[in-house]
Amino acid sequence: MSLSDEVLMAYVDDELDAQGRIEVEAAMAADSDVARRVGEHRALRARVRSAFDPVLDEPVPARLLDVVRTAPATATAPAQARVVPRTARDVRTRSLPRWAALAASVLVGILAGRFAFHGGGPGVIATRNGQMMASGVLADALTSQLAVQQRVGQPVHIGVSFRAKSGEYCRTFSMRAPAVTGLACHAAKGWRLQVLSGAGRVAADAGNYRQAASSLPPAVVAAVTDEISGDPLDARAERLARNRGWQP
Amino acid sequence: MQMSGMNSQIEELRDRIIAILPRLRRFARSLSGNAHDADDLVQITVERALGRIEQLRADSQLAAWLFGILRNAWIDEGRSRHRREPLHLPAELAENVGDPAIGSQAELLSVQDALARLPDEQRLAVSVVLIEGFSYKEAAEIMNVPVGTLTSRLARGRKALQEMLSEPAQVRQ
Repeated sequence: MSLSDEVLMAYVDDELDAQGRIEVEAAMAADSDVARRVGEHRALRARVRSAFDPVLDEPVPARLLDVVRTAPATATAPAQARVVPRTARDVRTRSLPRWAALAASVLVGILAGRFAFHGGGPGVIATRNGQMMASGVLADALTSQLAVQQRVGQPVHIGVSFRAKSGEYCRTFSMRAPAVTGLACHAAKGWRLQVLSGAGRVAADAGNYRQAASSLPPAVVAAVTDEISGDPLDARAERLARNRGWQP
Repeated sequence: MQMSGMNSQIEELRDRIIAILPRLRRFARSLSGNAHDADDLVQITVERALGRIEQLRADSQLAAWLFGILRNAWIDEGRSRHRREPLHLPAELAENVGDPAIGSQAELLSVQDALARLPDEQRLAVSVVLIEGFSYKEAAEIMNVPVGTLTSRLARGRKALQEMLSEPAQVRQ
């Protein structure tokens, strides 16, 4: 019995039914040439694939994430009614904790302006359903940066990481440009900004870039105190949580 | 309530698209061979997809649907751009691939270069099935061709790759 290359390829691609698989395997057992050809197809498949796999490990450029989050979606979704764009307010009041609704509506409004008008690079904040989400370098740092491994000059400095009462992981951060300090919690859809403050001064001398708890602005301290469950994460717990993708 | 349900559906969809972005980038990279053009293709894909989200038939089809849109975008934009630009190696050298005199000098072709030399339709078939791991049926839908057309392009693409990627001395005996 001679099997065509297309059949052997289909075998390697797992496209044969049970009967077809049995025939190919029988042929491979009986004929080393068939086994060799299958091996070649398999090797090619693995080689081509592994040549492009590294792309999966690259960080996705912020501009693409922004497009997904902000590009207008059509007004109808599968078999449903029209979508009316929702105002920022009705979500914010529903989804943020009560303390934040009071403080944040003012604070966030002011600071969002500061973020938004900070010229240059891609934004570090995005609005989703009226919620402020970390974006760009800020989101990247919150996701991957460990407090113990920070270098001077990184755009974002991570402060304390902890588990919130809700089970979510939260982290304080500060940035020099725009100059803000805040608290972000990891939600299903990314890092939600719980509170932002322009008052928090990361040590002003350009090189020295430390964030002691005492340097956190009161609004952020209050938010942490309100949210924290237990103690802040130590270096090991922080690494573990990061490696698990901040999943509760 | 219905409105917020709808909105959260779209938000959820955005999240699912984000989860597929790395694969879309890989797919685009394998087609265009250039990281910047590839990301442009992904961006166009996402914009088009969200702009016609009502055409998504079933949520389970999201990945295949996005890949199909990317394939169309590549045909519209990426491919024509690609044609204007020279491939990594000039054509004369490409014709001599496998010539031992040159092969000993020029390293083996990388998979990327070899893929870039396939005819577009074969490259697409190889990329969708071998790299992205779609079934023949899904791949044929993404490419908008019958399954038989897909499998013959795939077979020809594989053979050409196999030849280009073999040891130089063994090619074209």
